[in-house]
Amino acid sequence: MISRRNFITSIATGVAAAAMLSACGKSGGSAGGGTVENPTVLNYTWWGNDDRAERTNKAIALFNEKNPTIKVVGTFTDWAGYWQKRATEAAGGGLPDVMQWDLSYLRDYAKRNQLLDLSDVGVDLSTFDKTLLPSGRVNDKQYGVPTSTNAFAIYYDPAKLKEIGVAEPTGTWTYAEYKKFLTEAGEKGAGKYNGSTDFTGIWWQFNIWLRQNKIEAFTSDGKLGFTKDDLRKWWNLAADLRGTPAIISSDKVTQLLPKSPFGSNKTVSEATWDNFMAGYLADSGASELKMVPVPSDDPDNLGLFLKPSMLMVASAKTKNADAAAKFIDFMVNAPEVGEIFKTSRGVPASKTQRDGTTFDGVDAQVVAYEDSISKYLSDAPEPPIVGFGTLETEFLRIQEELNYGKVTVDQAVDQWFTSAEDVIKQNA
Amino acid sequence: MGRSLKTLAFHGVSLILIAVVLYPAVWMIASSFKPSSEIVGNAAIWSENFSFDNFIKAMDGIGGISTLQFFGNSLFLAVASVIGVVFSSTLTAYAFTRINFPGRKFFFTMMVMTLLLPFHVIIIPQYIVFQQVGLVDTYVPLLLGKFLGAEAFFVFLMVQFMRNLPKELDEAARIDGAGHIRIFCSIMLPLMKPSIITASIFAFIWSWNDFLGPLLYLNTPDKYPLPLALRLFVDQTQSSDYGAMIAMSVLALLPVLLFFLIFQRHIVEGVSTQGLKG
Repeated sequence: MISRRNFITSIATGVAAAAMLSACGKSGGSAGGGTVENPTVLNYTWWGNDDRAERTNKAIALFNEKNPTIKVVGTFTDWAGYWQKRATEAAGGGLPDVMQWDLSYLRDYAKRNQLLDLSDVGVDLSTFDKTLLPSGRVNDKQYGVPTSTNAFAIYYDPAKLKEIGVAEPTGTWTYAEYKKFLTEAGEKGAGKYNGSTDFTGIWWQFNIWLRQNKIEAFTSDGKLGFTKDDLRKWWNLAADLRGTPAIISSDKVTQLLPKSPFGSNKTVSEATWDNFMAGYLADSGASELKMVPVPSDDPDNLGLFLKPSMLMVASAKTKNADAAAKFIDFMVNAPEVGEIFKTSRGVPASKTQRDGTTFDGVDAQVVAYEDSISKYLSDAPEPPIVGFGTLETEFLRIQEELNYGKVTVDQAVDQWFTSAEDVIKQNA
Repeated sequence: MGRSLKTLAFHGVSLILIAVVLYPAVWMIASSFKPSSEIVGNAAIWSENFSFDNFIKAMDGIGGISTLQFFGNSLFLAVASVIGVVFSSTLTAYAFTRINFPGRKFFFTMMVMTLLLPFHVIIIPQYIVFQQVGLVDTYVPLLLGKFLGAEAFFVFLMVQFMRNLPKELDEAARIDGAGHIRIFCSIMLPLMKPSIITASIFAFIWSWNDFLGPLLYLNTPDKYPLPLALRLFVDQTQSSDYGAMIAMSVLALLPVLLFFLIFQRHIVEGVSTQGLKG
């Protein structure tokens, strides 16, 4: 039978080609002057669940009330459908005026001239941490404005550490101390707990480690910024831990899917983004989890940065650039909007919004963590290269083979570089 | 003795196969009564925490739009598709089989060739056309083709069926003074019942399950049919409500199942009586 749904996956490719063809024309957005009787209609679209729909509708209602000459019409779909729809619309020239956006798609659409440069259309960017803005920038144009941020952290469960008699991390540690901590936790965990998952399989921790060594993962023209030696050093960092109780074995991790080992109470710590807090608490049932910064051999350079968990962008073809800018400004800067979303989008990125929002419980903990690392923050990396998702998945997959002992570090490094160079060539 | 053993073995194997085939469906129905945390990564059917919470949450709707609205939209699209497909494909098939117009073979070949055209080849051009004429965010792009006989599969199905109907029947009618319209309505349509029912079932189910079409052409959430609404319960970037999604899947399955059960009898009936009358 002819099943149309089977074609979904292949559409992206077709769409990409068509998008390139049709992305040539660019019309300048003139300000549509709306009146109260005949307001300018602004289309805004986002992905998300019921909860986000309710919060966003509330924010839109508030905006419409404050700006009677603009009428924002909101629409939403799920994550996967969202990008299929955007790809088709981009090809057909009908992107909505304002869109919620994800970092991984920013460079792709910016390169095809689908997005509006928001540097000087009236969005107040002075309220943002200077280090955060580069993450929405492609070729020196501010295509995306972050709504909210995530930061990388090492999570641990204080109750489990107490149970097995391991001291809590202090928050400043070198990689040697980190490894000692994992080894001790693995040994004292005595089969019940392991230290952590293999941290060298996490792309972002590798990225941060590179930054600690003053290397950027990607050059500004989208090539790899590190060498095979760097990756070899990184994967060798955990060589003496693999196969010991310090690190949970890959087959156990697979068995636990879709839950994480940390959420399933099999490890005492985990390295990931700070927005996982609520999920981990719910999964593990722990009463409290704590976060500390990543280890670094250079105590003054932790390599940490804030990553936008979401951005706001406008279509390059919008006829109402002024209204679009006004709405984006409202969504990222208005304290009332922060109060509506709380941390459901991530920690509010702009200072006005963060200061204007009251946080409690887990939210307060995540905000406090991001405040505590603010002195270590350096410029966020530019939006990832096209095809980055594949690189990240490959990174984890090859590292798992390493963990299984199927390949040596040298082979693993060669494998990853081969596939990375392929991806970069394809998307250049 | 040997024979009854064989029968026993046959039935045993059949039952095991049925269990394997039906397990996902049973699991889905059972899971709709479980709390979300017990659904993922759990293949067991029985749960201690039996409740209707998922259904209550599913019926609540999304973003202020009630689930009944999604049901209504899906039903409207499916029924309109069935009407469109039956109307246009029988008429087109009649023209192809009973009227000898110039270029008949050529057009028939062209129509069959559209079957070979992958959907994603036409998706962008089609979108651009509908966007230019301002029909995006209406049901027109989803239904227009069905009313214009653009669904080649159904036209082909009807043509094949109609070719098997004896020409003597319409010749007799013609002698009695019937024109094309009369022949079509009074002779062909009643005889085509089995294939019309088959086409209706497919048209209904395909429209009911269609995700991509509505995704691309509908913007406002209150126009969404069920498949789009279902996906909103599972959001990778936030917490996913698997319970509500599965409950809604079960609800969404019911109309299709009913539709099939009611009309399935007619397919068999149609095929068996066809031989007697022919």
